[in-house]
Amino acid sequence: MKWCAKCLYPESSAVKLSFDEKGVCSGCSVNEQKAEIDWDKRAEMLKEIVETYRSKDGSNYDCIIPVSGGKDSHYQTYYMTKKLGLKPLLVTYHGNNYLEVGEENLKNMRNVFDVDHMIFSPSVEVLKKLNRICFKLMGDMNWHAHAGIFSTPVQVAVKFNIPLIIWGEHGRLDLGGQYSLNDLVEMTARDILEHCKRGYDWDSMTDEGLKKLGRPELSEGLTARDLFCYKYPDMRDIARVGVRGLYLGNYISWDANKQTKFVIDNYNFKISEQSFDRTYRKMSNLDDMHENGIHDYLKYIKFGYGRATDHASKDIRLGIMTREEGIEMVKKYDHVKPRDLYRWLEYVGMKEEEFDRVCDTFRDPKVWRKNDKGEWEKDNMWDDKK
Amino acid sequence: MLKKRLIACLLLKDGQLVESIGFSRFLVVGNAIMAVKHFNAWGVDEIIFLDINREKNYDFERNDVYYDNTLKEFAEVIRYVSKSSFVPITAGGGIRSLDDIRKYLSAGADKVSINSAAIENLQIITEGAKRFGKQCLVVSVDAKKMPDGTHHVMKNFGKEDTGMNVVEWAKKAEEAGAGEIFLTSVDMDGSLQGYDIPLIKSVVEAVNIPVIASGGVGDWNHLVEGIELGGVAAVSVGNKFHFTEHSTMHAKKYMKEHGIDTR
Repeated sequence: MKWCAKCLYPESSAVKLSFDEKGVCSGCSVNEQKAEIDWDKRAEMLKEIVETYRSKDGSNYDCIIPVSGGKDSHYQTYYMTKKLGLKPLLVTYHGNNYLEVGEENLKNMRNVFDVDHMIFSPSVEVLKKLNRICFKLMGDMNWHAHAGIFSTPVQVAVKFNIPLIIWGEHGRLDLGGQYSLNDLVEMTARDILEHCKRGYDWDSMTDEGLKKLGRPELSEGLTARDLFCYKYPDMRDIARVGVRGLYLGNYISWDANKQTKFVIDNYNFKISEQSFDRTYRKMSNLDDMHENGIHDYLKYIKFGYGRATDHASKDIRLGIMTREEGIEMVKKYDHVKPRDLYRWLEYVGMKEEEFDRVCDTFRDPKVWRKNDKGEWEKDNMWDDKK
Repeated sequence: MLKKRLIACLLLKDGQLVESIGFSRFLVVGNAIMAVKHFNAWGVDEIIFLDINREKNYDFERNDVYYDNTLKEFAEVIRYVSKSSFVPITAGGGIRSLDDIRKYLSAGADKVSINSAAIENLQIITEGAKRFGKQCLVVSVDAKKMPDGTHHVMKNFGKEDTGMNVVEWAKKAEEAGAGEIFLTSVDMDGSLQGYDIPLIKSVVEAVNIPVIASGGVGDWNHLVEGIELGGVAAVSVGNKFHFTEHSTMHAKKYMKEHGIDTR
C-alpha cells in the first residue's frame, strides 16, 4: 500500500487518486492551486453568473440552496443572501439521522437568514427499508441520503422553475482531486449517479429492481411510489428549465475551519459538544450521526481508512496540522467501531453478528488479509517506522 | 461541404477515465462506460477512445458500486461500449501491429488511431490501409512547439522529441494511406486556453485528408476558432466535456449559433 507523501490518503482511497513523481496525490495538488488562483476574479465571475439567474420581476426565488443545516449550509446561505443579495429557497432532504444539535442548526437557518426553508422528510418506513437494502447491497446504509440530497433539490428546481442551484464544495474535487479548481466543474447527472449514488438508481431498490440485480433476497416490498424523492429529474426537464448547479468552492477560497468560526460567531451555528467516536472534528456531519459513524466505519472496512484520515488530510492541506499529528489522529480513530451502531441496529432491527458478517463481504482484498489467528490485518502508514 | 464534426475524446489511464493536463498530470474523472452512455445521449458525432495507461494496471474492481468496472482490457472496454454506442468509435493506444488493428476493429471500433507504431514504421499504415481500408486509419500526432515556431512530432506520451517536423510528418502519413490526422498540441493540452491555431492551420494546408483538432478547449468559442481559423474538419474535446451538464449539446448549439454547419 502506498500513501500520499503530503497528506494521509492511501492509494486505496474511495475517491480515485493519481500521484505525481514526488508521490503527492491529486487531492493535494488540486488544493495547492488555491494559492495561485485570483479569488477576487472568481468572486466576480460568480456575481456575473448569478445576475443572469436573478428573478427579473421578483416573481420567483433566485436560486435553490440544498442545505443539511451544517456549517457549509450556513456559509453558503450567508454568502448568497448577505454577499450577493439573492432570495434563495433552502431545500433539505431529512434522512431521519440528525443529531440533536444538527436539528437545532437546521431550524436555526430560517431564523438567522430571513429565508424560506423547505424540508423534505421521507417516510421512516421507507428509510428503514432503504437502510437495510443498501447496507447489504453496497455496504452503505446511507445511500438514501446520497440519493436524496442530490435529487430532491433538483426536483424542486424543476417543479418551481428555479434553474440555479448553489452547492458548497465539490467533495471529490477537494478530497481526491477528481477535477481541477480551474475546471469550474458543475453539477451533472452522471457525476451524481456514478459517484454519489454508486451507479445505483432509485429503480434498483424496488422488488423488481433487486430481482434484476440478481439480489431478490434483499426485497423489502418497495415500489416506485415509495421512492419519488430519490428520482433525479429527466434530462429533458433539466434542459427545459435550464437547471444549472454551481459549486461555491470553485468561486471562493474554501476554508472550512475559518468559515465555521464565522458562522458560529455571527449566525448562531453550534458544533457538537460531544465528540464523535471516529474523528476529532466536532463541526462536520451533524446532520447524520451515521455519516461519521457506521457509514464511515464501512469505509474503513472497505478501503482501510476513515473519517480521521479525511479530516486530518484536509487540515494538513490547510496547514493547521502536521503530518505527524495527523498520523496520531488516524491511529486513534480510523479503526474504532462506533457507538451509533447500536442505534442503527435497533432502528433497522438487525443483530450485530449479521452486521459484521455483511461488513466482511465488502473488504477490499487489496487492503485486507487474514493473519495466522484468523484476524483481519492491513498495512499501516506507520509500519515502516517501527 | 461536409458537415463539421464534434468529437469527444476520452482518455483511459489504467482503466479509468482521466482528465489530462499537459500530458503529465492526470485527474481521475471516473468510469468510461458511464461517460459514454451520457455522451451518446447528448448527441456528440464521434467518440475517440485512447488508452494511455502506463502501468497496465487495471486493478480497480469494487463490489460496492453498480457499473461495470471489471473490464480488464482495453479491447473489452471497446467491445462493451460499441454495443451501446450510436456513434462511430475510434480506438487507439498501444497499437503495434496489424493484428492489434484487427483486434480493435473486431471488438467494434469503427476506426483505429495509431501513433508511435507509425513513427517507428510507416509500413503499418500502408499495410493497414490495404488490409482494412484507409477510412478506418487515423494517424494520431502529438505536436510540440519549438522556439522557432515550428512544431515537432513527440512520442512516448508527448515526452520524447522525434525531431520530425509535424507538417512533413503529416504529409508522409497521408501518402502512406492515413484516412485522417488526429492532431494534439502537447503545449495546449489541459490548458483550457484554446487550440494551437497556427499548428492546426499548418497541417490543414499541407494535407488533403481531414484533420481533427485536439488539445486546449476551455470555451465553446474555441471550437468555432478551430474550424474557422484553423480550417479543420472536426474538433475534439477531452476534459471540458466532463465539467458541465449536457456539455456536448451546449457545444453543438453554440457552434450552430455561430454559423458552423454541423450535424
